[in-house]
Amino acid sequence: MAAISSDTSQKPRISYHEFYTDGFIPREHYRPLWEHIQSVGQNAFEAKVHESQLALHAEGVTFTVYGDSDEGIERIWPFDLIPRIIPAGEWSIIEAGLKQRVRALNLFLKDIYHDQRILKDGVVPAELIYQGKDFRREIMGIDPPNDIYTHISGIDIIRDEDGTYLVLEDNLRTPSGVSYMIENRVIERRILPEFFAKYRVRRVEHYPALLLEALRAVSPRGKSQAEIVVLTPGIYNSAYFEHTFLAKEMGVELAEGRDLVAKDDMVYLKTTTGLQRIDVIYRRVDDDFLDPLVFRSDSALGVAGIINAWRAGNIAIVNAPGNGIADDKAVYPYVPDIIRYYLAEAPILKNVPTYQMTNPEERAYVLDNLERMVVKAVSESGGYGMLMGPASTPALRNEFAVKVQEDPRNYIAQPVVQLSRHICYMNGELEARHLDLRPFIIYGDDIKVVPGGLTRVALTKGSLVVNSSQGGGSKDTWVLAE
Amino acid sequence: MRYFIEHETVLEYPEAVREHHVELRLTPREDSHQKLIGMEMETEPSAGLRCYRDYYGNQVTTFNIIQPHRRLVTRMRAEVENMLENPFDYPPVPHGDEWEWLRQSLRTTPSLYDYILSRSPATPHLGHLDQRFDFPRHEPGRQVLESVQQAMEWITTVLKYEAGVTNVHSTLAEALNAGAGVCQDFAHLLIAIVRSWKIPARYVMGYLASREEETAPSPPATHAWAEVLIPGRGWSGFDATQQILANDLFIPVAVGRDYLDAAPQRGSFKGDAAGNNPVIRLSISQQ
Repeated sequence: MAAISSDTSQKPRISYHEFYTDGFIPREHYRPLWEHIQSVGQNAFEAKVHESQLALHAEGVTFTVYGDSDEGIERIWPFDLIPRIIPAGEWSIIEAGLKQRVRALNLFLKDIYHDQRILKDGVVPAELIYQGKDFRREIMGIDPPNDIYTHISGIDIIRDEDGTYLVLEDNLRTPSGVSYMIENRVIERRILPEFFAKYRVRRVEHYPALLLEALRAVSPRGKSQAEIVVLTPGIYNSAYFEHTFLAKEMGVELAEGRDLVAKDDMVYLKTTTGLQRIDVIYRRVDDDFLDPLVFRSDSALGVAGIINAWRAGNIAIVNAPGNGIADDKAVYPYVPDIIRYYLAEAPILKNVPTYQMTNPEERAYVLDNLERMVVKAVSESGGYGMLMGPASTPALRNEFAVKVQEDPRNYIAQPVVQLSRHICYMNGELEARHLDLRPFIIYGDDIKVVPGGLTRVALTKGSLVVNSSQGGGSKDTWVLAE
Repeated sequence: MRYFIEHETVLEYPEAVREHHVELRLTPREDSHQKLIGMEMETEPSAGLRCYRDYYGNQVTTFNIIQPHRRLVTRMRAEVENMLENPFDYPPVPHGDEWEWLRQSLRTTPSLYDYILSRSPATPHLGHLDQRFDFPRHEPGRQVLESVQQAMEWITTVLKYEAGVTNVHSTLAEALNAGAGVCQDFAHLLIAIVRSWKIPARYVMGYLASREEETAPSPPATHAWAEVLIPGRGWSGFDATQQILANDLFIPVAVGRDYLDAAPQRGSFKGDAAGNNPVIRLSISQQ
C-alpha cells in the first residue's frame, strides 16, 4: 500500500531510458545493435520496415480492437523492428522474482479455495475476498491435478524512473499475447538476421513445446495418455489468432464448446469416429462462460458438466477456474504479504505503490489528486475501465470520482509511474516511446519463465497506455545469455 | 418428529432436448437438529447419479442424459427425523457479548462473510430500496433474537402473503412495490434487513409439515425461510411468512445466499427451451 506522506514531491521525474544513458550515449548492451543500425542506413532500414509489414500481413498476424460498436475491428499487429534488449544479470532477477510470485499466488489460490488460513490469520482481509467478483464459490474444495491453478501467467512488469523493475499487474486467468511474442521473434529473425550475429539471444520459439509439456504434466491419466484441446470462444474473440496459433503449434485440436460433451463426469471431443476422451482442456473461455450448469446459464460458449468432471478429477482445466480472485487488483497490494506468508521470503520484485479505495484516508487523498493518479477498476483488464489522470478531462475525473465513492471495493489507484522509454522507428524517425513487458510463466512439473516476453509500446507520443486493445505496439524482446 | 417425504418433478419439452445436465439440491440437510434416516433418488430416463457437497454444505446430486428426450422425471424419497422441539432452548449470550461472539465466529469461519456482504436483486442493499420504508434497526442494547423478531413483525406491515403475486425470479423491490409476496419474498426481506445490521443471515429452501390434528393444509410445496446466526445458538430459522421460529415442522433442505444458491433443480440442455414449466408433486407424511 502506498504511503500518503511520501508523495509530496512535485518535482517532475523523467522516465528511465532503456536505450540511452543520461549522457545520450547508447547503453553498453545496445552498442553493437546501434552500430549495426547506423551501418544499415535510413533507406535500407525503411525498406526492412516495409518488408516486415508485408510479412505480418502475409502471416495473418492480427488482433481485434473493440470500439463503441459491438463488432471488433481486425488490425495487423503493430511491430517495431528495433528490439528491446535485457542483459542476463537483469533477467536473472526478473526470473527469480516471477517464479517466486507465481509459486506464492498458486499457494494462495489453493488456500483460498480450501482452508482459508490466510484469512483466518488476518493477513488478507476476508471481506476483500468475499466481495471479489471473481471469487468462485462453485469450486470451493475442488483439488485440481497436482494442486496447480496458475499454469500460465502473464505478469506485467514496468521500470520506474530509477530503472527498477516493478510488477504492475498479475494476469492469471487467460493471459494472452504469447503468440505475438513468438511472431515478433520470427519476423525479426527473418527480416534482420544480421542483428542477431553480435548477440547471444535466448530462444522463445519453443514456448509451445514448453506449454505442451506442462499440459501433459497435469493430465489425470498421466503424461503418456494426455489428450489435449484448446477451448476457444470462437472467431469473434480478440485472441482467436492466438488460439489457432497455439493449437497448431502444439499439434492439438482447437475446439469450441459445442465440440465437447461431458458425460458421467468425463469430457469428450465429438469426432467423426465417435467420442474421444479428453484429459486436459487449455481453455481460453472466461470462467463465467465455462459451464452453464454452474456459472452463467445463458452461456453457449462453454461445456455443461465440465466443472463436475474437474471436481471428479477426470480432467485438468488450464488455467483453473477461480484464479481471478488472485489477480483481482484489490488483492494486488497484498501480494508482497502473500509471498511472505506462504514462502517466508522477502519479495524479489516490488509492487507499484497502490491506494486502496476501501480505506477512507487513502480514498480522500486520491480523490483530491486524481489528475496525478491512475485509477483502475479491479476486475477489468486490457486497459478498459481505467482513468489516466494526467491525460484526463475534468468531466472524466468527476465521473470516476462518483464511481469510486459509490463502489470503493471496485477501484484501486496508483500514482502515475513514468514507464521507461525506448527508441522506436516511427515514420522515418527514431523517437522515444513508453513501454512495459509481459513475460510468460509456465507451471507444469516445475515453474519456467520463458526468457523474453511481450514488450508493449505506447505508440502515441507521451502516452503511458501500452495495451494492444488501446492501440499499443510491440517489440521483439531479447534476453541475453550470460 | 419423523417424516416421510416424496418429491417428484416432471419436466416436459415440446421438442426433444439432449445433452441434459442436472444438479439437484433435494437431499434434506443433516445437522444437530435433523437426522436423515434414508434417502433414495431416481430419474426417468434413468441415469447414473453422483453426489458432492457444495460450498454451502448442501448435498448435491448430479446426473446427465445425453440422448434426446422429451420428458424428465426426478423422484426423491426421504425419511428424516427432526428433533427441534423448542427453538428457544439454548444458553443465551449476554447482549454485551453478542458482537464479540459474532466477531469470533467470523474469524474462525471467514465464509460467514458471505451471509453479511452478499447482495443480489433478491437480497439488495436496503439503501437501494424505496426509502419511504422505515426499515427496522438493531438497536444497541437489544438482543439479536429480539431484533430479528421485531423485524419479522415489521415485515407484516409491508408485505401481505398472496400466492402467485410474485414468481421465483422476482426481485425484492418488485415484491415491496406490490406490497405482497410469497414465502421466498418474506425470507429475502428478512435476510436483507439482518444483513444491513452486519449479522449473518441466509436463505433456506425446505419443506413444511403440519400437525396431524390440524386440518389438511393447502397442497404442500417447498417452503422458504431465513436463518440468522444467533449468538450462543448458531443458525436459527425464522419464518417471516408465518411469524414463527422454525420448529420441528420445518425440514431444511438447502441453504445459500439467496434462492439461486438453494434452487432444488438446476439444468442445462441443448434444444428448444420453450414451454417447460415443471410439474411438482410433493407429499409429506408423519411416521
